[in-house]
Amino acid sequence: MIPALGRILILASLLTAAAGAVLGFVSGRSRSVDGLKWTRRFSYLYSAFISAAALLMVYALLVHDFTVGYVAQVGSRTVPTWVTIVSLWSSLEGSILFWGLVLGVYIAAGTYFTRNYAEYQPDAIAVWLGCAAFFSFLIAGPANPFLTVANPPVDGPGPNPLLQNHVLMAIHPPFLYLGYVGMTIPFGIACAALIKGRLGHGILKPLRESLVVPWIFQTIAIMLGGWWAYEVLGWGGYWAWDPVENASLLPWLTATAAVHSIMVVERRGILKGWTITLIQSTFLLVILGTFMTRSGVFNSVHSFTQSAIGPTILGFLAVALLFSIALLAFRIDKLESDGRMEGAASREAMFLVNNLLFVLLTFTVLIGTVFPLIVEAMNGRQMSVGRPYFDSMVVPIGALLLFLLGVGPALPWGRANGEQVKKALLPPIAGAIVFAAAGYVANVRSPWTLITLAFGGYAAWVTLGQMLLPVLQRTKRGESATTAFVDANLRRGRRRFGSYIVHAAVVVVFICIAVSSSMRQATELHFSGKGQTLQASGFDVTFLGVEQRQEPHRLSIIGRFDIARNGKKVTHLEPRMNQYQMMREPIGTPDVHTTAGGDFYIALSNIDPMAQTASITVFTAPLVVWIWIAVILMGVGALFGLIPARRKASVQSTVEEPIVAETA
Amino acid sequence: MNRTVLLVGVSIAGILLGILFMGLGKNPNEIQSPLIDKPAPTFALREVGTGRTVDLATLKGTPVIINFWATWCGPCWEEHPVLVANARMLPNVKFLGVVFQDSEEKIMGFLNQRGSSYPTVVDDKGKTAIAYGVGGVPETFFLDANGVIRAKYSGPMSSDVLRENLQKALR
Repeated sequence: MIPALGRILILASLLTAAAGAVLGFVSGRSRSVDGLKWTRRFSYLYSAFISAAALLMVYALLVHDFTVGYVAQVGSRTVPTWVTIVSLWSSLEGSILFWGLVLGVYIAAGTYFTRNYAEYQPDAIAVWLGCAAFFSFLIAGPANPFLTVANPPVDGPGPNPLLQNHVLMAIHPPFLYLGYVGMTIPFGIACAALIKGRLGHGILKPLRESLVVPWIFQTIAIMLGGWWAYEVLGWGGYWAWDPVENASLLPWLTATAAVHSIMVVERRGILKGWTITLIQSTFLLVILGTFMTRSGVFNSVHSFTQSAIGPTILGFLAVALLFSIALLAFRIDKLESDGRMEGAASREAMFLVNNLLFVLLTFTVLIGTVFPLIVEAMNGRQMSVGRPYFDSMVVPIGALLLFLLGVGPALPWGRANGEQVKKALLPPIAGAIVFAAAGYVANVRSPWTLITLAFGGYAAWVTLGQMLLPVLQRTKRGESATTAFVDANLRRGRRRFGSYIVHAAVVVVFICIAVSSSMRQATELHFSGKGQTLQASGFDVTFLGVEQRQEPHRLSIIGRFDIARNGKKVTHLEPRMNQYQMMREPIGTPDVHTTAGGDFYIALSNIDPMAQTASITVFTAPLVVWIWIAVILMGVGALFGLIPARRKASVQSTVEEPIVAETA
Repeated sequence: MNRTVLLVGVSIAGILLGILFMGLGKNPNEIQSPLIDKPAPTFALREVGTGRTVDLATLKGTPVIINFWATWCGPCWEEHPVLVANARMLPNVKFLGVVFQDSEEKIMGFLNQRGSSYPTVVDDKGKTAIAYGVGGVPETFFLDANGVIRAKYSGPMSSDVLRENLQKALR
């Protein structure tokens, strides 16, 4: 019953998406009002069908209907309910269905929010539904989760144990999908602008917002992935330059570049073709990333099992790539610039340098990721590009970007004379000196970390200055500081204030990554019996013994440790090995004691419940928790910038509003 | 039409798609081991049930398939029938199961329940597994008649994968 209903819903979504895509392109050409109306209806209809199919699968999982192929594959009666719901995206077929659901929601929202842009809408919807048709085709054919199981089993194996092992796994994938899939919307709008040969001022707002929304999810998703790796994988780090981690980072880099270049288009009317290229690249990199995780070409923690859908996704990537290139080649010259670059020492010039650095970073990571494939193709040897390559390439570019994050906002738009430039760029050096000196006092000796601190201090000075500038202008006119702050930053200049929150958070992220990774200490300890106390990084670690705990879906072997410093107990930690029923190796789960100053982290490397012995690795690293907090703050800042500014509240003062308070 | 954009775009697209396409047929489970084309590390291990010692030297003369596994490994259960069936079908190839990090009692229980068609030995301290660089079970090595390792596969095999890798040892 459920398998048949599911297949019907998927087929209906495929048909509506395909029909809507064709209709959209046709009515975009003929500018037919009725055609547009029907295109919208198809778009909503597609969303309804695909969402119903995904919800049906959730239902099937919850009632353990093992006649459904996917449920038989990943369902289990012994796992907790949250794991059952998470199963929707734990395996290949379900994850594509989940992709469809997210795309459905985005397309419905995109259709609704662009309803007043009739010039671009039919083509935009056509592109969205074209992508949707491809994913519905995948679900209907090569990755069908609704196959009927002839002899349904009594119970299933449950999802991949790595996903069951930590609750972060329940939130990381949805955020990633909300980020990844959402990039379809700006891609559609960008393609529509190319088809029309025009990127008018009006369409910039929906274009920017449709880019920022998935950007927020993507930002949080990357952080959650790193956090999960840190809490679960037990090597004390959060980023390994694994191909699939890179796959999530690549579109984020181009999207971040695009968020900045759109501002230049808004302010100066230049860089239109460039911005559109960045947005298209973002989407194409999303599809590339999907290919990397789904094709089995790359080996990684994240890989889904090898499957036949690799070639299909590669085909889609090829079509999307050629479609984008053709559109760009034929139309880019029609996008007229409304202005020109005024000078090298201007805000827009800094935006351009920022963009070039982001693109350079994208290429660096992309080449590092696909290089092993090139080598293997040429001489048949397998190799991997390790940390040293990425660290040595990415760290300098990252440091330069951090420096620009200070210089850019300090410079004015348009032309600036030497005196203005000096006045803008010299004072923040004080911030650089303070931060670097503070680091030196706190025992930071790594040169790159000191440089990061200096650039971070410079950027922090500028960012805080920009946050306070409109407030100062108002207090000079006699307003109280609180009113001025609330009105200038929280009521009116939300977008500007929001983006400086993002910048401030980025400064924190950079500094904390640099400090925590360069001051990290790792100590290996071997305990030969209960009650033994050993030292690591100034802490006393006491081994209290091993405990075994049997749960329905796993067996846990737990090492119990007391941590003390100067004779005072700090915390109790229980790193463990979890052995899941259907898994070849046990999964170690470290335990972390987090404080504002730093983390104390224990990972088991060997444990014997019979002999009551244990070997552990202790990691200590300062400031780690601030990375997660600051990344969340980046999302919050960007979200705050999306809240529409209330302008009608005080019409009078609009005239006097300083220019800086309008856009960042 | 902008020729520069077209040219740059098509070249980037061509290179990228070309690389990805070449990567397609590859299976990352076929990990290349430094042991490939080298003589297999020797061992002498106790056979489960009989207690007699199985020595690598005694296996020479025919191709050998050495399968590292354990009873606590789900994918090994999956793979077991494939090995048993192929061992019956390929009388000119010797199969050997090497179990590590496991108890003899559990292995006996497993084999009695699921059947076997080739000898199984116990790698008590995991020394043989270390010598072969086993990363996780199941992992399978394909030796030619001279005891040289010709292929390695990690993860559960289907019959097709087994035959395909065996070809490398027969050449």
